[in-house]
Amino acid sequence: MLPKEVASSLSTQWPCRDVQMRQLASLLSPHVPSPSTLVVHGISATCKSTILRAVLATLEVPHAIVRSSECITGRHLLTKIIWNTLEALEQKEDWEKSGKGRCEHVSGLAVLLEECLAARPVEKQGKFVLVLDEIDRQRDAPHTLLSALARLGEIVPSLCVVLVLSSTPRPLFLQSAAVPHVSFPPYTRKEAIHIILSSNAPVVDGLPDETSTRVYPYFVSTVYDSLVGPTAGSIPDFRSICDRLWPRFVAPVVNGETPQGGNNEWDFSRLLVKNRVIFRHQGESALVHRIVPDETPASAKRAPLAKTLMPSALPSLPYFSTLILTSAYLASHTPQRLDTIFFSKFSSSSLSARNKRAHHRRRLKVLSQAQAEERQAANDDPSTPKKGKRTKTRITKSTLSSAFATSSATTSAIGGGAGIAGPSTILTARSFPLERLLAIYHAIDPNPPATPLRVAAVADRIYAELATLRRLRLVVPAASHNAMATSSGNTTADAGDKWCVNVSGDWIGELAKGIGVEVGEWLAGGLD
Amino acid sequence: MDADGLNDALGLSNDKSQNLGAYIYQPPKHRKSAGERPSKRRKVSSTADKDERPDRQHFVPLLNGDENAKSVQLRYDAYQELWSKQEHKIQVSQANSWVVIVINYSPGLKNILEDVDAGVLTDVLSFVRDTSPQTCDGCIPTALVTVGSNVSSLSRLLSRLNGQLISAGEGSVVVLESGDAPNLKTTLKNIIRATVTNTDGNDGYQRFLTDRAGPRLLGYDLDLLHDYVQRKGTKKLVLALRDSEAFDPGLLTDLLSLFKSWLDRIPFTVLLGISTSVELFEGRLPRSCVALLQGKHFEVQEAGNCVDRIYETLQTDPDTNLWLGRNVTSTLFENTSDYFQSPEAFSRMVKYAYMSHFFANPLAVLLANPDSTVLAQNKFCEAIRNLPSFRMFCEDLVEEGSINQVRDMLEVDEYLIQEAPKYLDANQQRMQNMFQAVRVVHTCLQYTQSSKKTNVSDLSIRALSGELSESTIVEEMVATTKTLDSDKLDGLLLRLREIIMGPEAGAIQEDLRTLLGTCVNSGPLRSGYNINSTVTKTTVVQQRILLSKGQADLSEPAVEYTNIVDRLVALLQVHLTETLINPQDLFLHEIFLFDLRNPLKETFAPRPRFAIERALSTPFDYLLSSSDVTMTKVSAKQPATAILYQLYLDSGALVNVHDLWQAFYGVFETEEAGGCDDRVVMSLFYGALSELKAFGVIKNSRKKTDHLAKSAWMGL
Repeated sequence: MLPKEVASSLSTQWPCRDVQMRQLASLLSPHVPSPSTLVVHGISATCKSTILRAVLATLEVPHAIVRSSECITGRHLLTKIIWNTLEALEQKEDWEKSGKGRCEHVSGLAVLLEECLAARPVEKQGKFVLVLDEIDRQRDAPHTLLSALARLGEIVPSLCVVLVLSSTPRPLFLQSAAVPHVSFPPYTRKEAIHIILSSNAPVVDGLPDETSTRVYPYFVSTVYDSLVGPTAGSIPDFRSICDRLWPRFVAPVVNGETPQGGNNEWDFSRLLVKNRVIFRHQGESALVHRIVPDETPASAKRAPLAKTLMPSALPSLPYFSTLILTSAYLASHTPQRLDTIFFSKFSSSSLSARNKRAHHRRRLKVLSQAQAEERQAANDDPSTPKKGKRTKTRITKSTLSSAFATSSATTSAIGGGAGIAGPSTILTARSFPLERLLAIYHAIDPNPPATPLRVAAVADRIYAELATLRRLRLVVPAASHNAMATSSGNTTADAGDKWCVNVSGDWIGELAKGIGVEVGEWLAGGLD
Repeated sequence: MDADGLNDALGLSNDKSQNLGAYIYQPPKHRKSAGERPSKRRKVSSTADKDERPDRQHFVPLLNGDENAKSVQLRYDAYQELWSKQEHKIQVSQANSWVVIVINYSPGLKNILEDVDAGVLTDVLSFVRDTSPQTCDGCIPTALVTVGSNVSSLSRLLSRLNGQLISAGEGSVVVLESGDAPNLKTTLKNIIRATVTNTDGNDGYQRFLTDRAGPRLLGYDLDLLHDYVQRKGTKKLVLALRDSEAFDPGLLTDLLSLFKSWLDRIPFTVLLGISTSVELFEGRLPRSCVALLQGKHFEVQEAGNCVDRIYETLQTDPDTNLWLGRNVTSTLFENTSDYFQSPEAFSRMVKYAYMSHFFANPLAVLLANPDSTVLAQNKFCEAIRNLPSFRMFCEDLVEEGSINQVRDMLEVDEYLIQEAPKYLDANQQRMQNMFQAVRVVHTCLQYTQSSKKTNVSDLSIRALSGELSESTIVEEMVATTKTLDSDKLDGLLLRLREIIMGPEAGAIQEDLRTLLGTCVNSGPLRSGYNINSTVTKTTVVQQRILLSKGQADLSEPAVEYTNIVDRLVALLQVHLTETLINPQDLFLHEIFLFDLRNPLKETFAPRPRFAIERALSTPFDYLLSSSDVTMTKVSAKQPATAILYQLYLDSGALVNVHDLWQAFYGVFETEEAGGCDDRVVMSLFYGALSELKAFGVIKNSRKKTDHLAKSAWMGL
């Protein structure tokens, strides 16, 4: 079968991949010698594996496919390669001959593969293709694995190794010259729309077919331009967004509403004007996958503007734990040098002390604003020398007003606002030593013990509750906050170790209000 | 420095009496010497150890050690028996309380017992049955179960789910905890092993590994699971993560992406137990991981409910003979509301309370119904006579005029031993009646009030302090009962009849039934106290409006009904005032009422940090001082670490080591007038410094090389 014929037979099912199919078909054809190694690369959802499988099946080349993402260790991968090869060669019963199904190292793999391939009957001696899917995602891979696998084809003459990568390879990353690469680029706008339109519009009850065929192409391209293109969405995303939005888009037609402007016929532009709002609200929420999908049925009669999905009830914690979490939050969000001003017991109630605190809160907010702006400016113009720029600490009227125009600082936490979050601002959660948490706990306790002599027991109780909070990942050791990769099991909790709060401030604020603590009193920009 | 001073300082002196004030922990001695390899842990049945000392006494003799062995053993046995009974009750009540949760979840259900399997379980089960990757857009079907802070409630749900799936032959549930998942390899191994042992047992797992065609696979290869699923014909394999938040997010992502790629061969369903909220959980996972999951949200909440239920069963059960007093109760519930506490922890605290009662109270032997020979120890009677309640009882008897009885009780041991169990029985009966009355009040409140929730524990605390009968709660309850119409009253009587067994209650119900039988068609009857039966009259007198309330004319049945209501209210009031007594007034209440706040509170809230700080800052609170004068300030007689710690307390956040050394040396210099050896003091200093470092109170400062940073402050 000629490469052209392969491509034409497959392209009805997988359109827009003619070039890649022909390349693969000509490289892997059973009648011409293949390169010993072949690299197929492209980002996810570009049909790499599917096309490769389809081409191999059409060409009827004997082949084995190993999904590297299913292999836990390097050894596991090698064992799987051997096993799948035996299976493809129908030599499964002879597993004891070839290393008893065990393979510890790549050099052993070469020997075993050679034996297996040599054991084939003479009429089947020919090309054998070994596909290693997502090999760049292999866990625990030794760094020589890729280049070693690339050599397999040189050692075993009848073998062709196909490496499928989902990242763009560096030049000469296999340490050998002239390995043919087949690239699967992301689908262009035209291709993506073509693919979506090659299947019919989702069926909506009560919608005339004629309207559907007329409006749907426009709808699909609008969805691409507004939602999928800017977010680099893949084809499955594109399809699911279209499926979800289409019934809402044509809802006016189904409900028998009459368009404005004296015309009885709905055309695309009228529908678009009527439904502008879906692209803003539902469209954006459609981009984000949630574990619990939106409950509103797609065929809802009226597109509801308000969010119908109530956020599930926020969890409530026991009294003591709430207080600890609150103190952890405050410790994370208050600069340490201001502790004496905010938390000292000696100046807690006088008017001047309050004014002083309010002043510092405002000042902090302005500072963080200024920092955020500065970083924004630095991002926009990387050529600006960083040296010589001092943090703007002077409060002018304009900075104040701009500071108060934006949202309150209490909303910040992981992520936070788009411009405000960052490693260095006042508004991101920072780590704190445990002793500071204890001290702040004593400062904000709404029911302080009547006799100050009996406070001593609290610290030990705090540790116990903190352990539970840590298990819930509400408060985490600072090291694991930065690098989540650390194992969950054993971290030492020394007095000097730093901790960090790990949840959003709004929720903690609510909780703290429940037990009579006003968080805003101590935060930058709170209470204003 | 002379030799004595040095020995004192180093703690080397042979005079061991110095240490008598402190407990010294000695690890149990092993038979093998330190150099040998520790023996391998093997599964050996522990019977051998038990046989060594069969007669070991668990409790120590009390009454200054004069208590006889039999009585000690009786106390121990009584405790064991009591706890095994109560434990059984707790398990039953926990099972039931889960039913209550189920009912709360779906309020439409009425009959509690018939719908055990309803609610969350049915929902989750039908979710597991109905969903498949195809219905979830190719994602892994996921059930998110929020359980609040009560993680243990999930395990009951899971075991029932497992039972149902296995019995239907559809699949099974594998429970995974964060402790089982240190890394991907071990996690997979654990999952595979748990899945196979769940249905085939441990031997089945071994056979499964060996009896396969082909090479032996690695333990973490999901091919094994694939094989298993094919052999068993499993349709649903539910993987439940009990504490999902505690899993490492990176590991979870790896695991889920692995499941996703196997989803076409192994029918996974993931069940995540969440303690906080779905949003928080979702927010913490990477987007790529969230994109793999799709499913539904279920809710199981309320640990407090469960605890209330346990408490109610323990206290109000008719065959209870030892009760928890007011202080203990309030301590228990304080813990539940203030801290993360599971029902299991709650029952452990209750167990400890019972144990400490039998352990420390020699009179508790009376609860074991001993024969009089056991009690015939002279100190025992003395102990009874020293009870405050005995004194009160005698005073009451004297006031009543039965002086002879008092004299007998004070002087004749036999008489006292004979009489005490009788009084004990009688008073225990009164306690039981009291708790029945609490249940009556609770039932009435539940029936009459819809808005405010009053639980048994609140009522019990009031009743145990003798305040319930005069409280506003009861007054309001009686007032509302008066206004009930006949249908509701009938329902209330039906519920009360289970608790009050008096003939009067039965008679009232009879009368009400006959009354209702005569007037079937007139709808529910209203009593004269009902708001609808009073009529407000408006009269204008001298241009003023007078409002006067008056009884509307009541129909014949209504009058009769009002009579019945009056009788019921009277019965209730009499019953409550009779039974709701102050338990502290009862004779021998020290025996059947445990009300000491202290061992419980201290035991479950240990204070290691406080103890260490105290030991370091005032060491002679723990160690015996060799000199007679109690010293408050630093002296060379104290252990070196304690001296250094006190000096450290005086300093700021950064301490210059040289200054510290100077001060330390100064302490020794002033005490030893004859001059002391620099090198010895220096070695003490280094030892103390490294000990403080081991405690974690100091660390090296990065700001200044010759400074130490303070990392712990005293009194936090």
